[in-house]
Amino acid sequence: MGQPREDRLFYYSLLPFAGATVAVVLLLAAVLGYYSLPALREYGASVIVGSEWRPSEESPREASYGLLVPLLGTLATAAIAVATAVPVALAMVVATEEVLPPRLRGLLGGVVDVMAAIPTIVYGLWGLEVLAPLLRRHVYPHLNSALGFLPPFSCRAYTGASYLTAGLLLGVIVVPYIYAIVREAYRSIPSKYRLAAYALGATRYEAVRILSGMVRPAVAAAVLLAFGRAAGETVAVALVVGSAFNPPTCLLAPGYTIASLIANQFGESFYYPLMANALYLGGLLLLAIGIIANVAGLRLLAGARSRAGL
Amino acid sequence: MYAALVAALVAYTAVAGTGCKAAIQGSGSSFLYPQMEVWVERFREAEPGVVINYNPTGSGTGQNQFLQGVVDFAGSDPPLKRADWERLRGRVVQVPVILGAVAVVYNIPGLRGHLNLSGEVLAGIYLGRVRYWDDPSIRALNPGVELPHREIVAVHRSDSSGTTNVFTLFLHKSAPSLWPEGLVGKSIEWPVDSTGRGVGGKGNQGVAEQVRQNPYSVGYVEYNYAVKTGLSYAWIVNREGVSVPPSRETVLAAAEAALASLPSSPLDDWSGAFQAIVYAPGRESYPIASFSFLILRTHYPDPAKARALSSFLHWLATRGYDYVIEGYAPVPPAIRSMIDEAARIVGGGG
Repeated sequence: MGQPREDRLFYYSLLPFAGATVAVVLLLAAVLGYYSLPALREYGASVIVGSEWRPSEESPREASYGLLVPLLGTLATAAIAVATAVPVALAMVVATEEVLPPRLRGLLGGVVDVMAAIPTIVYGLWGLEVLAPLLRRHVYPHLNSALGFLPPFSCRAYTGASYLTAGLLLGVIVVPYIYAIVREAYRSIPSKYRLAAYALGATRYEAVRILSGMVRPAVAAAVLLAFGRAAGETVAVALVVGSAFNPPTCLLAPGYTIASLIANQFGESFYYPLMANALYLGGLLLLAIGIIANVAGLRLLAGARSRAGL
Repeated sequence: MYAALVAALVAYTAVAGTGCKAAIQGSGSSFLYPQMEVWVERFREAEPGVVINYNPTGSGTGQNQFLQGVVDFAGSDPPLKRADWERLRGRVVQVPVILGAVAVVYNIPGLRGHLNLSGEVLAGIYLGRVRYWDDPSIRALNPGVELPHREIVAVHRSDSSGTTNVFTLFLHKSAPSLWPEGLVGKSIEWPVDSTGRGVGGKGNQGVAEQVRQNPYSVGYVEYNYAVKTGLSYAWIVNREGVSVPPSRETVLAAAEAALASLPSSPLDDWSGAFQAIVYAPGRESYPIASFSFLILRTHYPDPAKARALSSFLHWLATRGYDYVIEGYAPVPPAIRSMIDEAARIVGGGG
């Protein structure tokens, strides 16, 4: 290498730390995989595609551990979260970047940034005490009577705890993530485009439409990253999802996600042969969802940045 | 800095200097924990030399740590499994030390008076077949009570729990044709969940929270928890067809009635104890009662430990039941003399 000695030392001294991060992720996947194997060997694919969760202390043969319901629940709640959070976050970006008077911009932006710093257990308790009862009393009955012909709203909401409640709570949690990514992209649009839009006589609304079209790749990236974040969220979801083995065909019913299943059952799982192994497999699935969503999201984001000339 | 260190040293020698004869380690049942704390405190007044530490790790962990020799004794809601007892036969002592109950709590706004429920009705509810509070089967148990035509939300534990085991055992014993043996256990697949009217809560607290929040719901929690949270609890129809509330008297009555089918020595196999006390005969008996056990060795290598444990058991048998806290019930006299017998076995083995 033609670098000065100092730089080479610098390079080598940082290598272990960078390598350790990669090693931790690989080790994590390896451990999850190693512990999931016994469950896969005993039950085969039915651990993933089966929908029955019937633990047995006596023998693994009498038990069945199917992760399909919590897996679909994870995807459903994360999808609801992203679907509700994206419009809110986009509206907030436009409000804080274009519409609001400068003083309010800083205030609103600051509040959204603080939202990201609130521990999710706090959101969970709020969801349990405020959001769930509110939705059960004032929203779900109307949703059911107006849209009951659609399968997702076809059941009565007997409890406030449900897939939809968990999804909406997750939506609140991921708003600041989407907001931060999109705002950054929006700010990085070169000012010549804004000037050009106004120079052509665009109204403010038209200018915002042109500019927001330019951050579309960042929005897509934010959607994926927020999806990964929502799929892995544990404690807030465990409090409001209802912990019942129901497929998410109707979103107003109580259900499970993989993370909330692990939170509920891991503690005592060692009394049930292979249950812990099935839960490890659930962890591995979560890791896979997280990696896919994050890698795809980050690639989109990198593409968007390079196109913006950054 | 040095002052603090010196103070700590002085405090340490003061504690060590009180003539600590034995330090006993126990772990297990979290149900037993609040009561155990009171006993340990009171026992220390009677015998200051003995330090007992009890760690509420849960019954399963407690048994495990005891079997592995990590702790000196275990507190456990279920007794040792038959296979474990066989393996340790003659070397292990088990005694029930306190009685508890599972209370069926409900949230029916505007309901006056108490609600009567039976095993059959509860089985129907948790199967998802009994759908409304004014179902004929519930009305028949509650003549004159105005029941709402509202759908029942059935709350259950989402984590594995001894409370679920006792509750489902009761459902099976009282309504065997409705509730099969396959649905008895610490963690089961609840049929009501598939109707959308079943919801899980983590721990007694999670169940109580769901019941409190969802009008027209029903759930089951440890009796002491029902007392603490102030939720309404149902009277339950027992084996003789009498509806009784959970209370110290009715739980004690169930234990008295179960005595005939219980072992007569702490050295025996107690694995059938829950079968005996759940849905026990007797007009006064509360049908969803349960024991909590202390599990000890017959021989301890350290004679000081053996003496200390023996004197704790003797103190428990003679004075301990003056300090039973609310929501728990003392064991009947016949079992107290068995605790004293256990004291003799443990003490004689030193």
